[in-house]
Amino acid sequence: MSERVEPAERLLDLVIALANTPHRMTKSQIRRGVNGYADAKNDAAFDRMFERDKEALRTLGVPIVTLTDAAHEDDIGYRIDTDSYDMPPVAFTPAEVGALSLAAEVWQDSTLSAQSRRALTKVRAVSELEDAALHAGLALRVRGPDANFGALLDAIADRITVRFTYRAANTGRTKQRTVEPWRLYAKDRGWYLVGHDVDRAAEREFRMSRIVGRVSRIGEPGTVQVPDRASAHREAPIIRATLALRPERASALRARAVEIESPTAGAGSAQSSPPAQVPRPSDRDVIAVDISDLDLFAEELVGYGDAVLVLDPPRLREAVLARLRPAASLGGES
Amino acid sequence: MAETAEDRLVRMLALITYLENHPSVPVADVAAHFGVTEGQVLLDISTLWVSGTPGYLPDDLIDFAVDDHEQNLLTLTDARGMDRPLRLGPQEAVALLVALRSLQAMPALAHDPVLVSTIDKLRAAAGEAAGAADAVDVYVGAEDVGERLTALRSALADGKQVRLRYVSGSDVVSERVVDPLQLLTDAERWFLYAWCHRADGVRQFRLDRMLEVTVLDSDAPAHPDVALSERTDPELTTAQWHVRLELASRARWVAEKYPGAAVTDLEEGWFAVELDVVNLAWLHNLVLGLGGDVRAVHPPEVASSIAERAKAALDAYAALDGTGNGTQ
Repeated sequence: MSERVEPAERLLDLVIALANTPHRMTKSQIRRGVNGYADAKNDAAFDRMFERDKEALRTLGVPIVTLTDAAHEDDIGYRIDTDSYDMPPVAFTPAEVGALSLAAEVWQDSTLSAQSRRALTKVRAVSELEDAALHAGLALRVRGPDANFGALLDAIADRITVRFTYRAANTGRTKQRTVEPWRLYAKDRGWYLVGHDVDRAAEREFRMSRIVGRVSRIGEPGTVQVPDRASAHREAPIIRATLALRPERASALRARAVEIESPTAGAGSAQSSPPAQVPRPSDRDVIAVDISDLDLFAEELVGYGDAVLVLDPPRLREAVLARLRPAASLGGES
Repeated sequence: MAETAEDRLVRMLALITYLENHPSVPVADVAAHFGVTEGQVLLDISTLWVSGTPGYLPDDLIDFAVDDHEQNLLTLTDARGMDRPLRLGPQEAVALLVALRSLQAMPALAHDPVLVSTIDKLRAAAGEAAGAADAVDVYVGAEDVGERLTALRSALADGKQVRLRYVSGSDVVSERVVDPLQLLTDAERWFLYAWCHRADGVRQFRLDRMLEVTVLDSDAPAHPDVALSERTDPELTTAQWHVRLELASRARWVAEKYPGAAVTDLEEGWFAVELDVVNLAWLHNLVLGLGGDVRAVHPPEVASSIAERAKAALDAYAALDGTGNGTQ
């Protein structure tokens, strides 16, 4: 056959050969015997091809074991450990396969997307046709994590310290950071690493997209102590914000209000908040909204311009003013 | 997108397992089950048919019943011992488990019994590989849209039309009747993808901007020609504005958050980002929110309209302090 064998076909033949070999196959037996490896032009090309294939199969969960012959120690042989090859017997109902296929659509633009689709294929091999009706019309789309996700996840599992170059958010400068990795999380369309920053001797969060280049491992596996999740999780306190709204504006904020006071709709409504010293504009409605992230809320409020003014707390008001002042000179003629 | 060799290998192995348990199964059923075309299934079968153990003589090869093949039915007659289901790779298990747990973090699905049992079973199927998934969390926006979500889900399930009172990004309130097509979240906000009868087209609505959601008695007509959205980012094909912002290093997230943004590095950590903008109100909100991290906006008419809004707001604050009760 002069035609080149496709990689998928070569991988398939390698799996079948290594699963069926009575004892083991050496590299030279593989090169001579397994369909596709004769395509390698020389020893180096064969080695590259075989190493890549072996790594690809291990990533897919195929348990390839290495066996050395007692008589010829250099002569390494390979076979598939058929005892650990199988997926444990689990019966997914059609509705559960439907949930898995919804889950396989979650990741966008990342290796997680390919991995979850492959996992779904493996489950489908032992399942009946899915029933998608239960979650019809619902979808979650999460931007997949960055290139270092796999390396960081492995490091967490191996409890080993990592080192990487990190671009600071406020200065843009890069610095080397040494971190004992604990957890990864996604929030507001970004991915973060939580861990113990060794040089700063404190817990820190790192935005994964600001890690420059690759993550490397430092020291020995099994040395990192991951603290209890319960102690690591912090709940943000709730802040009550008092706002003055132009009549009929900012309906989205009104929909979130916990209290509404409208001076234009009769002065009879007695209110306990906002604090008495805050000036009460007579031509505006006053509402109270509960928020958890002051800066995020300030960003949202600035967009309303003069339709929404902050009465309280002063910190929120200052956060809004601090954004308005530089924006006011953007036109260039200030 | 071209399929990788790994993806195809996994499916071919899965096909052997599946066919071993389903003799005489129509090609179309197999294609539907694995979510691929019938042509792809037949290609996979052709490859399987010439694969086997070294030697590759007829008895070494995976084999199918030829009679069945001619009737477009598939029957596996020799699996060469490969009919066992391949276990999940460690990263595959993590990818699916974290995705399932993220779905569970959605308010609508927090106590969904199917999700709970699926996660339990997947953990069992993944074995020790499942442990790594516990180190990963996805936080799904917990904004208070629960009631709207419940109403829209029931409308979707029952195929009913919905009347929305909606406030746009430019703070304009409108009322419209829509045919819900899909509920989508990017883990930060919820969106309804729907056919809008006022706009006579497909529109995306943010749930946190819905002031009132009323499920109507009228049935929503089918929209078979509408392709459901793959992502929550707005379609940029209708972008009317091309805008260039000069931003401080702190605002790198802007480039990270909006795909397709072209970035040029400037001196001392400043950088320029070029964005296609569908809706100027959205840009106003973005730039005003960034405050001092923006030093220039092009084109100039966009810059001055943003500056006008900021000045008006500053004036309103000044007036507010001026009319205070003398305490300030």
